[in-house]
Amino acid sequence: MALIEVKNLEKEYVNEAIVTHVLYNLNFKIDKGEFVAIMGPSGSGKSTLMHILGFLDKASGGQFIFNGRDVSTLHDDELAEMRSSQVGFVFQSFNLLPRTTVLENVILPLVYTSTPARKREELATTALNSVGLSHRLNFLPNQLSGGEKQRVAIARALVNDPAVIFADEPTGNLDSKSGLQVMQILQELNADGHTIILVTHEKYTAEHAKRILRIKDGEIISDELVANRQFATGAKELIK
Amino acid sequence: MDFTPIKLALTALRAQKTRSVLTILGMSIGIAVVITIMAAGKGLDHMVMGQLDAFSPNTVTVEVKIPSTKKTSSDNAMGMATGITITTLKEKDLDTLRKHPNIAAAYGFVTGQAIVKYQNEAKTSLLFGEGYNLQEVEKFEIASGRMFTKDEEESLAQVAVLGSKMYELLFGEENAVGKTVYIKGKPFRVIGVAKSRGAMMGMDMDKMVLLPAKTMQKRVLGIDYYQELIAKVKDRTIIKQTVADLETAVRENHDITDPNKDDFAVNTMEEAATMLSSIINGLTLLLVALVCVSLLVGGVGIMNIMYVSVTERTFEIGLRKALGAKSRDILKQFLAEAIIITVAGGIFGIISGAAFALAIYFIAVSYGYDWAYAVPISSIILAISFSAAVGLIFGLYPAKKAAAFDPMVALRKE
Ligand SMILES: Nc1ncnc2c1ncn2[C@@H]1O[C@H](COP(=O)(O)OP(=O)(O)OP(=O)(O)O)[C@@H](O)[C@H]1O
Ligand SMILES: [Mg+2]
Repeated sequence: MALIEVKNLEKEYVNEAIVTHVLYNLNFKIDKGEFVAIMGPSGSGKSTLMHILGFLDKASGGQFIFNGRDVSTLHDDELAEMRSSQVGFVFQSFNLLPRTTVLENVILPLVYTSTPARKREELATTALNSVGLSHRLNFLPNQLSGGEKQRVAIARALVNDPAVIFADEPTGNLDSKSGLQVMQILQELNADGHTIILVTHEKYTAEHAKRILRIKDGEIISDELVANRQFATGAKELIK
Repeated sequence: MDFTPIKLALTALRAQKTRSVLTILGMSIGIAVVITIMAAGKGLDHMVMGQLDAFSPNTVTVEVKIPSTKKTSSDNAMGMATGITITTLKEKDLDTLRKHPNIAAAYGFVTGQAIVKYQNEAKTSLLFGEGYNLQEVEKFEIASGRMFTKDEEESLAQVAVLGSKMYELLFGEENAVGKTVYIKGKPFRVIGVAKSRGAMMGMDMDKMVLLPAKTMQKRVLGIDYYQELIAKVKDRTIIKQTVADLETAVRENHDITDPNKDDFAVNTMEEAATMLSSIINGLTLLLVALVCVSLLVGGVGIMNIMYVSVTERTFEIGLRKALGAKSRDILKQFLAEAIIITVAGGIFGIISGAAFALAIYFIAVSYGYDWAYAVPISSIILAISFSAAVGLIFGLYPAKKAAAFDPMVALRKE
């Protein structure tokens, strides 16, 4: 059984009287352990798709089946539960809580789970360790570089050991070196068995994934495995 | 119990230190003002009420007066200052008063000064000659011993009741009742000691010696007139008529036809008392207005901060929801924030309000006012229910608003 199955998925935004049709009749499956890049030009609907797959937004039509469950039947609280237990997000603009320490930022997803308070700090420290930030636990976000912020965001995304990690343009705000570090971490996480869905408009970044789903104007125009996969090795050593 | 919302709230409050401190400050100022004002109101009330005792609204007095002037005995220190002594106010007038159907009780009053001796102690004292029925007319309490009786007054018994300070000056710790003091060389048996009465209209009532009025007239002063008659009316509502009746009757007693030639004046405390109580009412109204304004200002300030905080924190709320928070979690966190602010503001407010009230008390006492330090329970209840209401209304509304955010909309908002 596929982890994610999308059938005839449609999305339209309705703002007052204006209807914006963004996604048209999408069909694909993603299995556990995959590393998929969703690639397309700006405005093509990549983020919209990611938000639906990440339980942040609801489809307007068709089906999204996650682990055998039809997501369209879920209530708000159940969606929150899915976000809490099944997915982790890395956003282009980091989205860390300001004036809140690195450690507390990473603990954040855990406070909405049943993880005991004692265990939370331990898990967060481990996650921060794995992105090479164990020396920054009590820093505030504004004391970090862009690359460090994004690594905090990755630690936060993986701290609750989610089934899928979504990364929306995670390298978009970073220089190439920091971007490579991020990609290396994502590849390592994938190698450890995490399913990763990466949204990008760059071919080079997309080629770090194993499979590329191209969308344009809300429709899938191709879905193929990466022939010449890029490996971001060695970049992570720079941060240690 | 799950402390997570409280921890989250504390973290969030710490992340917005200035805002949190300002909110708590606003809250505690509101509460402190309420408590201070209400405590000050109580203190003032105590002071004014103490004064009002001297202005018993049921009292009617007949004072001697120099004819064709407005000067009554109390205006010129019982007529002594002018050198003119009016000697026409007599027992007959007192009887006239007592017979009036609206008079509950009346007594005659004379005053003088004399040296009072006990063994080696000698003190100059104010002597008050008052009726045996003094206690029927005004508040006068005996600390030990007793008041003199009608028989003692009629028989010109040489008995005395000491003011509390005069007792201490003469006897120290010693028991005075049954002992003999000498006034103008004559022996007086002490039969009682009065409770402290404080100052009344500028006179220290505790330093006087009380004698039966008739004993004082005959045995001390050698006169047969009174300086003042003091009476209590039964029905205050017809006091004006009573005054008119008494004026006519006393005039008749004194063979006066022209009211301009009156050698007496019938007065009531009504006007003074009415004025005082209208001042008190005015002050109370002012205090209530002050309390309302401070509650309003505090409340609006807190609402503003809480409301702005939700709008400002759209991103935080969206992010928390994106990371798995349910609406309920957000609601709990915002409520916990409101409760923490409310409780902290409440505690600081009550403590500082009580402290301000104490400061005012010390200042008032240092100025010699008969102030009282009381933080009324009602003010604490008002303050607590105010802060709880503010916390609930101004906390719940933004919290509900925050909880209803769609995570995506909140995150996208830049
Ligand atoms: N809330 C919304 N209401 C109306 N239209 C929206 C809304 N959100 C997104 N859109 C529209 O949907 C389309 C797809 O947006 P989306 O953010 O998914 O694009 P994207 O592929 O992620 O682009 P980019 O690479 O620039 O991030 C855009 O045309 C956008 O204007
Ligand atoms: Mg996008």
